[in-house]
Amino acid sequence: MGTVRAGFVLQMRFYRRYPDLLVPLLTAPLYGGIFAMIMRYNGRTDLVGAVSLTPFYMSLWWFALFSGGWIIQTDRWEGTLEYLVSAPADFAAVVFGRVGATMLSGVAAFAETWLFARYVLRGDVAVRHWGVFAGSFALTLFAMAATALLMAATFVLARNAVTFSNSASFPFYVLSGILVPIALLPGWLQPLSEAVFLSWSADLLRASIATGPVPHPVRGMVMIALLGTCALAAGYTVLRRILGQVRRTGELGLR
Amino acid sequence: MNLLLIIRRAFWLGARDYTAIFTWKTWLTNWFVRVVAQVSFFALIGRMLGDPGQTQFLLVGNAVLLAAMVGMYAVNMVSWERNAGTLPLLAAGPTHPAVVLTARGSYLILDGTLSASGALLVTAHLFGMPLPWPRAAIVIALIAVVAASAYCFGILAGSLLLGFRSIQTIVTNVGLVTLMTLCGVNVPLDFYPEPMRWVASVLPLTNGLVAVRLAVTGQWQAALFPAAWEALVGIGWLTLCLLMVTALVRRGRRHGTLDYAS
Repeated sequence: MGTVRAGFVLQMRFYRRYPDLLVPLLTAPLYGGIFAMIMRYNGRTDLVGAVSLTPFYMSLWWFALFSGGWIIQTDRWEGTLEYLVSAPADFAAVVFGRVGATMLSGVAAFAETWLFARYVLRGDVAVRHWGVFAGSFALTLFAMAATALLMAATFVLARNAVTFSNSASFPFYVLSGILVPIALLPGWLQPLSEAVFLSWSADLLRASIATGPVPHPVRGMVMIALLGTCALAAGYTVLRRILGQVRRTGELGLR
Repeated sequence: MNLLLIIRRAFWLGARDYTAIFTWKTWLTNWFVRVVAQVSFFALIGRMLGDPGQTQFLLVGNAVLLAAMVGMYAVNMVSWERNAGTLPLLAAGPTHPAVVLTARGSYLILDGTLSASGALLVTAHLFGMPLPWPRAAIVIALIAVVAASAYCFGILAGSLLLGFRSIQTIVTNVGLVTLMTLCGVNVPLDFYPEPMRWVASVLPLTNGLVAVRLAVTGQWQAALFPAAWEALVGIGWLTLCLLMVTALVRRGRRHGTLDYAS
């Protein structure tokens, strides 16, 4: 537990030293403003609340991709990975602690987005189904951290991880239906959306602020938990395999 | 050395740097998929609203924004030179460093034009927006003007931020979303209050986007005036950039701080 805490504190120090890691917290209100402006211009003030929460998911994905995803690779570039792996503390616990700090930035992103939507954009974002909201929010943070762990592990092996991270934002935003419901996507894309935890999460968040009953809340939460668990298992397996392999071949800091 | 030769070599040097990041294959399968998705993300709002006119407005605005976005990546160009330790060498050379700096990143104009034009053509097809070829050629030329204008703005911003490396990512990202907010990308310029419209008129993208919207509907003659304004805005930012780089190099020479960055 002490190792996890140390990883957490280390990542928080990174945030303080490199504020550019928190750039989504600055762009989120601007995106919220853009989406709200489009709705107001088109006379759809009823949609301002739902669309102005979209930047939360954009920030969350950004943190998973750039902040969590690059945790191991940056250690490798800095030449500190060898020390971390050879230390008595569990390496996976350090990574988990650091990824946990990115979850905290996700909480900050939600608080900021919600407050901006409620008090600046004047959107109707009152939570009407607290159980669904709290459950889906906690599961979303877990799934995000698990996805960040998977990315952190796979980015070490991928030669074009930089190009992937720069390119993996909007394709996932479209697939996840974080702004526009998945039903409006072409039919051949919709099955792919179901494999992205954000799509289930966005549906539940939208439903938790809407009037009327939430359709299939349990199924949505089970899917977020399932996809998060799959990402966690895959991330842990890949991480162990990579470490074993590079230790054997002596390529820990070389790839 | 002949000035044109220097510009050509600097351009190819920058282009070679770029090919170290992207091959044609990764450009098409990663970057191009991203830009098409970015335009689709916004165009889908129009579909959600059930308004084909709005879909076209958002599609064109966000496609042209890509040209400005790539051009704005020039913010990082100047600091890359400093990080690589080549800025003092450029300052010591007989050619003005601004010539090399502006030419070296000019591949971004080409990339921005290609990204924006390609995304526009693909998403226009996906969303059923008519864009016949002779008209499309004029649109692509106008997009190139936007990319160049934004590039000039980006390289000036990069020079201004040279001593503040830790906030460059912040400025680039916030700057891009600000262009998206102010320049008539998602709502018409009339929607903004007068002071905001005035600010938007001297930013890259605003006038060029007006020209593209006119050209898309076949009014290419009416598009000439805003296109000329976009070019003038770009020239204005380029002039400021040359002055800024000159002052920067002069100060760096005097204080011996050219190769230091915060």
